Parts: sequence; C-alpha cells; structure tokens
Amino acid sequence: MDVRSQISMVFHLDKCIGCHTCSIACKNIWTDRKGTEYMWWNNVETKPGTGYPTKWEDQSKYKGGWELKDGALRLRSTSKSKIVFNIFHSPSMPSMDDYYEPWTYDYGELFNAPEGGDQPTAKPISMVTGKYLEIEAGPNWDDDLGGSRIYAANDPNLEGMNEEQKAQLSAVERLVMFYFPRICNHCLNPSCVAACPSGSLYKRGEDGIVLNDQKRCRAWRACIAACPYKKMFYNWQTGKSEKCILCYPRLETGQAPACFHSCVGRIRYLGVLLYDAERIEEVAKRPDEELIEAHRSIVLDPFDPAVLSQAAANGIHDSVIEAAQKSPVYKFVKQWKLALPPHIEFRTLPMLFYVPPMSPVMAQKHGDVISHTSDDLFHDIDQARIPMQYLAKLFGAGHEAKVRYALRKQKAVRIYRRWLTVGDIDEATADRMLREADTTRDEAEAIYRLTSLCPFEDRFVIPPMYREEAIEMMQDPLEAKQTTGFGFMEGPARGL
Amino acid sequence: MMQRTIRHLLTTAAVVIVAMGSARAADDAASYFRQNCMSCHTIGGGRLVGPDLKNVTQSKDRAWLQRFVANPKSFLDGGDPYAARLKEEARGAVMPNISGIDETKASSLLDMIEQESKLPKSQFAGLNISYQPFTSVDVANGRKIILGERHLANGGPACISCHSVSDMAMLGGGRLAPDLTKVYERMLGRKNLASWLQAPATPTMRPLFVNTSLTNDEILSLVAYLETTARQPQQASDTATLSFLFLGLGGTVLGFIGADTIWRKRLRGVRKPMVRGDK
Repeated sequence: MDVRSQISMVFHLDKCIGCHTCSIACKNIWTDRKGTEYMWWNNVETKPGTGYPTKWEDQSKYKGGWELKDGALRLRSTSKSKIVFNIFHSPSMPSMDDYYEPWTYDYGELFNAPEGGDQPTAKPISMVTGKYLEIEAGPNWDDDLGGSRIYAANDPNLEGMNEEQKAQLSAVERLVMFYFPRICNHCLNPSCVAACPSGSLYKRGEDGIVLNDQKRCRAWRACIAACPYKKMFYNWQTGKSEKCILCYPRLETGQAPACFHSCVGRIRYLGVLLYDAERIEEVAKRPDEELIEAHRSIVLDPFDPAVLSQAAANGIHDSVIEAAQKSPVYKFVKQWKLALPPHIEFRTLPMLFYVPPMSPVMAQKHGDVISHTSDDLFHDIDQARIPMQYLAKLFGAGHEAKVRYALRKQKAVRIYRRWLTVGDIDEATADRMLREADTTRDEAEAIYRLTSLCPFEDRFVIPPMYREEAIEMMQDPLEAKQTTGFGFMEGPARGL
Repeated sequence: MMQRTIRHLLTTAAVVIVAMGSARAADDAASYFRQNCMSCHTIGGGRLVGPDLKNVTQSKDRAWLQRFVANPKSFLDGGDPYAARLKEEARGAVMPNISGIDETKASSLLDMIEQESKLPKSQFAGLNISYQPFTSVDVANGRKIILGERHLANGGPACISCHSVSDMAMLGGGRLAPDLTKVYERMLGRKNLASWLQAPATPTMRPLFVNTSLTNDEILSLVAYLETTARQPQQASDTATLSFLFLGLGGTVLGFIGADTIWRKRLRGVRKPMVRGDK
C-alpha cells in the first residue's frame, strides 16, 4: 500500500442552475490574458448537448484518454511509433473553430454609427485577428438548447439509444436538459502527463494537482490531444500549454478555488481523499463494468489504522489526515456512493466526481388532469425525462446500476425529508424507501444536511499546505520583506 | 663512494630520459608536420602555397617565428610588415591558425625543421610529380574515386558526399564543401594540389583523412581528373543550380501531397461539419 493524498472534488449536479458564475470567476482570475481568450478552464455545458470543444466526448475524433489493448493501457492519441510520424503535427487536435473564435465588441460603433433607421449596434470583433467577424459559435453556444436538432441531437452520449428515445429528448413538453460544469479532473492516471514528450506536466506530490511547468513546456501539444476531457489548452501567445491549476495559490492560503468559492448553487465540494497509488494501473485496466467499483476501492478509509500508519510512513502530515477524515468528498464518493466519476471508460481515473441529477418525471395525463405520482415509488427514476441510459453513458461507463443506485438514494432522501417536513407521506413508506435505497435515517439526514445546509467549512475542507515551510527549503520567505512592493514575476516566453 | 655512485647513476638516468624525451618530441613534431603543415609547405622541395621552410630559422629570428606559428592570424591582423610580405608572396593565401598548436609545440616544430634542413634530402622535400600529360586511364580512375565508385584504399569517404564537380550527374554532387571543378587552378597546379591531398589540413577534412590518408596512386588519379575538369571549358553550372531548385520545389510539392494522403483521416474540424449536417 502506497498511501497518497489528493485534493478531490464533488459537483452536485442536482443543485446546478447553470448560471456560469464559476466560469466567469475562473476567467477573470486566470484566463483574461492574451493567448488565453478562448480558454475556459471551467465551463458549464448543457446536456444533452455537444459541449466545449464541440463533441469533446467523441474519442473516435479526438483520440483522448487510454484504451485497453492486449491487456496493456495505451494512449489513444500517441505512441512511440506514432509520435515519429506525427512529430510536426498532432493529427487529432481541436481547431479554433471547435472551441470558438473569441471575440469582443467594437463599442465605438455605438457612438460613431451614422444616423439611421435602426439602433446602432456594437459590432463583434475577433480577439485573435482583430477583424470584424460573424459569430457562428461560442463556448456555450448550445446553452439551454436541450432538444436542439443540431446540438442536443449530436450529443455523443446518445449513441446506442433508439430513435424513439432520441425523439423523446426533443419532443415538445418533454424535452429536458441539465447542466454539466467541468474543470480539470486532476486524474490519478492522467493521459496528458503520460503523453507529454518534454516531461513538463506533472502531478503534484502533496495533493495530486496536475500542473504544467511553463518553463519546460515545449509546445508539442501532445497533452491537448491526449486529454479526453479536452481540459488542456494551448496558449498561442506564449507557446505553452495551460490548464486548470485548481487555484493552488488560493488553496495554499486556505481558500477554496475561485469557481468553488463563487458557486451560487453551492454545488461544489472539495476535500482530501487518501488513495493507494500502487493499485492505479491495476484499477485502470479493469473491464468497463468494474471500473467504478474499482476506482472507489482505490480510495482508502482515513480511519483505518493500517492506512494511517502507511500514510504517516509516506510523510502525509497529520493535519492532512484530519482533513481527509472530515472530507465531504469521501462521504459522497465512498460512504454514500452518490458521486460518480465522469466517463471513467476513458481510464484516466478522474478525481472529480458528479452526483447525477434528478430530472422531472414524465407527466401522465388523465383527461384534463396531469399527474406526476405513481404507486411505484421509484418509478420516476426509470421513467424520468433523462433516460437512465443517457446518464449511464456519462457517469457509469454505459452501465446503469451505479447511476440508478445513486438516484434511488437521492430520491429516498427526498421522500424521507418530505415525510419529516411536509407530512403527506407516511412513516412506513419513508422507511421502506430508505431500506430499498440501501440507506438509513441517519445517513439520509447526513446526506440532506451536506446537500442542503452546507456552509463553507462543510463544503471545503482544505488541509493546511504549510507553504511557508515548503518554500523555506528553497528560499527565505522573508528575503524580500520590506524591500519590494508589487512587482512582476518572469512571464512565460516561447523557446528554451 | 656509495653516494658518488648513486649520483652518477642518477645523472646517467636523467641524461637518458632527456635524450629519449627529445627523440620522442622530434618524432611527434614530424608527424604533426606531416598532418598539418605538409599540405602547404615543403622543406627543401620548393614553394607550394606556403614558402619552402628550408633554413627558415636562419632567415628570421626564432622568437618571431615561434610566435607567428602559434598564432599567424593575429600577426597578419596586427599589421606586422614581414607577415604582410609573406601574404603577398603567397598571393593572398593566409596561414590559418592550426588546431592544437602553442609556443612549445611551435618551438619543437622549429627544432625539427632545423634538423631536417641540415639533411641533404628531407623527408618533407615534397612530391616529385611529373609534368607529362596524364593518361586517360588516370583521368577515368580519378572520376571513379570522386564518385565513390572506387573505394579509397585506406577507407576514406568518397569526395562526392561533400564536394561537387560540374560534370557529375545531375546535381554535381554534395553542397557542403567547395566546388572542385576549378580547384586545380585555385591550388596553382599539380604539385600543390598533390601535396594538399597528401594531408588535407582544413578543420573539416583533417579529422576525416588523418587516419585514412590517400595513397600516391589515388592522389595521382585525382590530380589527373581535376586537371582535366579545370581545363575543360566552363560548363553552365547554373543548370545544376536550376535543376537543384526545381527538384527541391517538386519534392516539396510531392511531400505535401504525400503527407496529405497519409494523414487524410486527420481531424479537420468537428463543429462545422456537424452544423452543416454532414455524417
């Protein structure tokens, strides 16, 4: 057992309202520089939809992630032989059009436009070429376009569904959508790191944050093709790749990352998970249907004495272990089994987990009365407007069992709370549902509290990073005290 | 008594060691001369590109010579009048700085030259090359050697891998090194060219041929061939340049077409075809 710690995340999709506040918070802090205009380290997608970049989940086009070939894990995008032939050009990279051409507006037009019959308009102007452009796409072009015949209908997750099911998703009064906020998953088996020819990408030892060394990056862009979530971005200005850094400067000062901090719906949870690094390869090689369970099993119990002694032997600080014991992520992922990794079939073992969203039930119409109830308490999970098959593609590697389990438990908690607060459901029914959903009153209460009544300190359990001690090894933290004020760090530049 | 014996023995030993040392130094100097100097200088064999070095130590003071040999360029740049005269005599050819030389080495070289000057015929008297016209067999052999069709006896690389000669095939040979068509004229004739070929002393050629020197037969053939090419009327070397240009352009176009075919399955954008409704 090789115990390591990872700052890990849960996004509770049932609470996401798709307001994009997270994206804006991230953009304003990190990607408002030249060369990063098109990057959205955090973005919110409407599902069903094609996302950003367009159809990123379609690995037949983008060749991201790992595949299991002859019992070995192989990168889809590259290999020792492929890299020779693709040394000057990686063939599976999204073009700017697949992201979008970033633009701003020429606001001068508002004042200079000649007098006419119409209101003057600020003309859109490209932030790349500086020329006027006709906007054809944006980073959330299909925002709220559930049911769109272009975007929703081309969602790669619809693969394998029959025509009737697909038609239903775009039928009037039945169409449905939910939001899917995405950041870098800070995977345990990151394909971007594996693909990097210059060794500039690395997974930070103390907390598992995946970072790109701006000095070692040589613009090969192998990571762009290799990341199946398309969360590596290339900065054309500096000639370096960039990615979500999980706001590590904020974490190091005890603050939650900007997107977490600003989340209006409080859907984001952050905490430490202890995991067994020895088992990563073995787990990543499991067949699809076993992946979720195996991934969960790699997460270790922070109360187990054997784990604790190994953690201490690996130099994990007591305060980190304490944080791991209080981690909301551990509860969602391991104890309650509510949170599931996105597209685990890419085999990068993402460490960002999603609580799958409940969706409106199919309404039944009896004469003029529209009814939403039924005798079978869980029926609307299977008859919800988002087909289970669809959610299974996203969160279950195509297998429904784990997704159904998570949804049933959420539903049971709702019924239980309804019995407590509204009282139109009797106690026996509530208890039966809890039992059938493999949970208890205590657990349901805990789930309810962490879902609904969660202050900052419950949602974000950030271990102290001892940054001041860590940098002491390299420099005296007080070296520049009283000598410099605001200054400039060395910017990244193309070349060696 | 005992002490005196020991002192005597020690003195003898010291003398022997010094003698052996100086003998080795002379050998070193000779082989160094062979590799680095012989392509331009003789000792008692007349002028090549550089002057005949016989009795050079009597015509100029030793200290000056020593410093000049160690760093000839700086002398010429420094405007030394004697050095300028040497340059004029050599028709503008300038003695390059020789790698691995310093004042000690220069001194041992001068010693060696002094010794050799006293001999009736020095080992560095240069080649005796006849001024009879060459036979066509020699010329043909030279061409084969340049083309690499005939291997060099000591295993040196073929000339054409770096040099070009105007009547060679389409591109005239390699472009890394000077064109050899008129080298016979540039080197001022048979003797100079042959001496040069004995031990080519440029920084690029020296390491290639230091252990794989050309045999006298090969040198003869090469000189024969190069003399013929130099005497032929100047062919349009523009043709070679032009064909090189067109070949390059054609190759590039073919390369692009090939790359486009090999990578025809590459990603050409996802969004536009999707919005257009392509399958």
